[in-house]
Amino acid sequence: MLQAVGRIASLSKPNLSRSLPSLAICNSRYASSDPSCLKEAPIIDTDAAIALPEEQRSRRALESSIVVPIKVDLSPVSGVPEEHIKTRRVRIYQPPKNAMQSGTNNIHHWEMEFDTRQRWENPLMGWTSTGDPLSNMKIEFKSPDEAIEHCEKNGWCWYLDEPKIEKEFKPKNYGVNFSWNRRTRVSTK
Amino acid sequence: MSLGKVFALDKVANLFNIIRQNGGLRGVLYKLYRQDDIKDGVLVGEDKYGNKYFENPRFFYGRNRWVEYADRYHLNYDASQIPAEWYGWMHYKTDLPPHQDPSRPKYKWMLDHTENLSGTTGQYTPYSTTRPKIEAWVPPKSA
Amino acid sequence: MLRQPLTRALALGSPTRLAPVTTRRYAEQAQAQPEKVEVFIDDQPVHVLPGTTVLQAAALAGVEIPRFCYHERLAVAGNCRMCLVEVEKSPKPVAACAMPVMKGMRVKTNSDLTKKAREGVMEFLLVNHPLDCPICDQGGECDLQDQSMAFGSDRSRFTDIHFSGKRAVEDKDVGPLIKTIMTRCIHCTRCIRFASEVAGVDDFGTTGRGTDMQVGTYVEKMLLSELSGNIIDLCPVGALTSKPYSFAARPWETRRIDSVDVLDPLGSNIVVATRTNEVLRILPRTNEEINEEWLSDKSRFACDGLKRQRLVTPMLKDSRGNLTPVEWEDAVVAAASALRDCPPDKILAVGGEMADAESLVALKDLVNRLGGENVCTEQYFPMEGAGTDLRSSYLLNTKIANVEDADFVLLIGTNVRFEAPLLNARIRKAFIHKETDVAFIGPKVDLTYEYMHVGDSASLVKDLASGTSGHEVMKRLQSAKRPVVILGADQLKTKEGAALLSYTQELASKLQENLQEKDWKVLNVLQRTTGQVAALDIGYKPGVGPVLASGPKLVYLLGADAGVVTREALPKDVTVIYQGHHGDQGASIADIVLPGAAYTEKRATYVNAEGRAQQTLPAVTPPGKAREDWKIIRALSEVCGEGLPYDNLDEVRSRLAEISPALVAYGNVQGNNYFAQALALAKSVQRPVSGKLDVQLKQLEDFFMTDPISRASPTMAKCVQAVLKQKQSPY
Repeated sequence: MLQAVGRIASLSKPNLSRSLPSLAICNSRYASSDPSCLKEAPIIDTDAAIALPEEQRSRRALESSIVVPIKVDLSPVSGVPEEHIKTRRVRIYQPPKNAMQSGTNNIHHWEMEFDTRQRWENPLMGWTSTGDPLSNMKIEFKSPDEAIEHCEKNGWCWYLDEPKIEKEFKPKNYGVNFSWNRRTRVSTK
Repeated sequence: MSLGKVFALDKVANLFNIIRQNGGLRGVLYKLYRQDDIKDGVLVGEDKYGNKYFENPRFFYGRNRWVEYADRYHLNYDASQIPAEWYGWMHYKTDLPPHQDPSRPKYKWMLDHTENLSGTTGQYTPYSTTRPKIEAWVPPKSA
Repeated sequence: MLRQPLTRALALGSPTRLAPVTTRRYAEQAQAQPEKVEVFIDDQPVHVLPGTTVLQAAALAGVEIPRFCYHERLAVAGNCRMCLVEVEKSPKPVAACAMPVMKGMRVKTNSDLTKKAREGVMEFLLVNHPLDCPICDQGGECDLQDQSMAFGSDRSRFTDIHFSGKRAVEDKDVGPLIKTIMTRCIHCTRCIRFASEVAGVDDFGTTGRGTDMQVGTYVEKMLLSELSGNIIDLCPVGALTSKPYSFAARPWETRRIDSVDVLDPLGSNIVVATRTNEVLRILPRTNEEINEEWLSDKSRFACDGLKRQRLVTPMLKDSRGNLTPVEWEDAVVAAASALRDCPPDKILAVGGEMADAESLVALKDLVNRLGGENVCTEQYFPMEGAGTDLRSSYLLNTKIANVEDADFVLLIGTNVRFEAPLLNARIRKAFIHKETDVAFIGPKVDLTYEYMHVGDSASLVKDLASGTSGHEVMKRLQSAKRPVVILGADQLKTKEGAALLSYTQELASKLQENLQEKDWKVLNVLQRTTGQVAALDIGYKPGVGPVLASGPKLVYLLGADAGVVTREALPKDVTVIYQGHHGDQGASIADIVLPGAAYTEKRATYVNAEGRAQQTLPAVTPPGKAREDWKIIRALSEVCGEGLPYDNLDEVRSRLAEISPALVAYGNVQGNNYFAQALALAKSVQRPVSGKLDVQLKQLEDFFMTDPISRASPTMAKCVQAVLKQKQSPY
């Protein structure tokens, strides 16, 4: 993970990083034990396993990607209007658990969303309209680093919002419901 | 073909006739100023708003019935000022003008004609038909 | 401000960002960890503490076992049987939520036996559960729905219900907040456990056995709790749903915006669900350092107050003295000329209870640029001694989460239950699980747990501070390893406030000296409102008293609705400008009204009682012509000819960071120090105190309507009525 952080740091050219000052300094990093960060076991390709060494070498050379050491800024060529690059701020966050449900599926990733813009009411039917083309754009990422890189590439001003969901582990015990000398004894059933 | 027609004398007679019908030179200039056209024709009728309806079969079909709007409209006349009774006659839906047509129904609940009010202060403006979602604070009135 | 200097960008990768969270350390230091045991969840080895349940061990391995009755913040009940799993060498499937792990245990969470057991449990649960999902408010976020899709069978083998029909249970009336459809109840008893453990109200319980079992309140009565809304979240089915939100929307139709609550000083994290530009409901968002996953009823249900009594257009007083709607231009010009024409020392600016840090700093900068110095908050805080110079004197230094680890809590003149319900829930948690004892100085109130009532005289604090008290509390405090002293900010309003604060500081520092853990903080001052801490950080003077007495010519109320500034207290020729979002006390005395945005409508910084800066996010658009507050002040400054040097939010926030970096360190608390220095300065103001300590919010009916939003809320009004009616009832 440190590598990833280092990469981002090297990506961020002095005058091109869009990290918001206030938020970038405050958040401690997400925990590396985050299960969503875990990569799966590598799948071994049979062709690759039986290939000759020189074949392997040439194949590896073909498959490898070239790392461009400079920061890529897509904003001039992406066709996104300047208004939606310069004035938007992106929040990178982990979706919170729905308080109404106990399941935790679909929240083990990071998302980016744009700030909410003005909505207005259509006078005939009362429907709500918005002029914001990015209002429904929520992109999911595996890690905040990927999200940050995506935002940097597109020239958006971003900030990281980390959930405070780390909790002290406390073993649960059925017996304390019936302990005779503790306050955990249940009064109603 | 008569001699008069050969020398187009009837056109000259028409001209004089038109000038006479339109109230002399002064009247002709006023009508040209107001409606860019002078015609001669038979006054078929007049509606209750003062618009006068003329007909002259000498003109080509489509131009042979016309209306001279009441003077009070001055230059602000438009076709929506023709009431519904005369609309049919003006558009050749019928050859009977309303006052000669006995089959036209006349009830007292029938509305008076209104012209198109678009662009004037009396125009219709749409308003929100939805209930407001926010209830605004009404400041207390001082006695 | 989009482009950052190099240092900022590099801060991203610097080790400081990787620093671990420093809170919640105390519990682990306490006892040496026993040796861990190895268990296998689906053949995956996990090392857990002995006594851990199978379900928890599975969670550590990343396997989620389905459950209905188990909830990690409630006691284990073990009655839904949904968490049955197969354990090797065990003849029967075991209930994972109640079964402690044993060394070398091999748990199979996905075996055929486990699947069959789950399917069987689902089948039994659905025997009597009505199939009314299409008209049920829980539809779409229902645990029973989810789990029957995942683990249930596609058909039922029960045919007797074709002849006997399903079990039907009469609905209960438990107040204006919770709607009950008891036929849907699956008897998980989460609501019962929540009410008795967390809320401390033993009203819920079961009657009958087998098919005749019912969850209810024994006799029909309202659930008299300030945390009752949480049982709606806890209910895994649609038996308990929200009454104000009933049939309003489906969960997939709403947009959810993460935000922060401002109706109590704790700044609970919330999710605002909106649709069609309306706030439909507010749900808690988990934040272990503040609200866990609970939310107080006021924060949850007062959101309908955001739609009533709103200021939607600027207003000016006309010649007859009536406020009439005008355009922004007229209102701003009128306000600016009033500000310019007023002698600077006659301007009084008052920051209100729900003012955000951005608008507070903009207003202070504007008044200072005009030459005035009188920027005040509504709530008083003694300025003798250290006053507000040291942040530790007015904050909750222990932090909310750490209160759980305290072993003795002394409350001085604060009814925590209604002033900060979730802090009270923490104290109650410590009371139950950590055997923490609580002592209380003040009038007798119901805190939902037993406490030592020391008395209600302020002199008791003096005796405790000087060590001359013979009360048992003295001994308990001195022997405590992690004592906490919480002083209510309301007590500091009186003349004796300064002395009381000083004595409390002395008591706290004496206790602190004897502690083994030097970084444990003892002294706490619990503020009443959200705006206060930010205002004091920015440099507002607490209390309007002296300025009001000197006769201001212009009063600028920034959401000040507490009623401390009244027309009677002001000179006749004064101009009152009110900027805020609700027509309440402030707007009704104003000459110029500038409509601002409420907390769901702006991106704004709020600092909670711990000193933790958090930001709200805009969920809906401000109604009508209302605008964001700091922008109004910025526009006003331009017309005044004293343009403020910030044009966008980032620039305002860098101005905030100039004043105090803590104001923009979102989500985190900075540790406080200088307790000894504050005490040294405060020693000089110690003088005998003789008054009685009284609290403002004594009963549940006082709790619901305390600020402009909750006063405008019809639901809160219904709650007050219902509580008063319940008080009449013999039960």
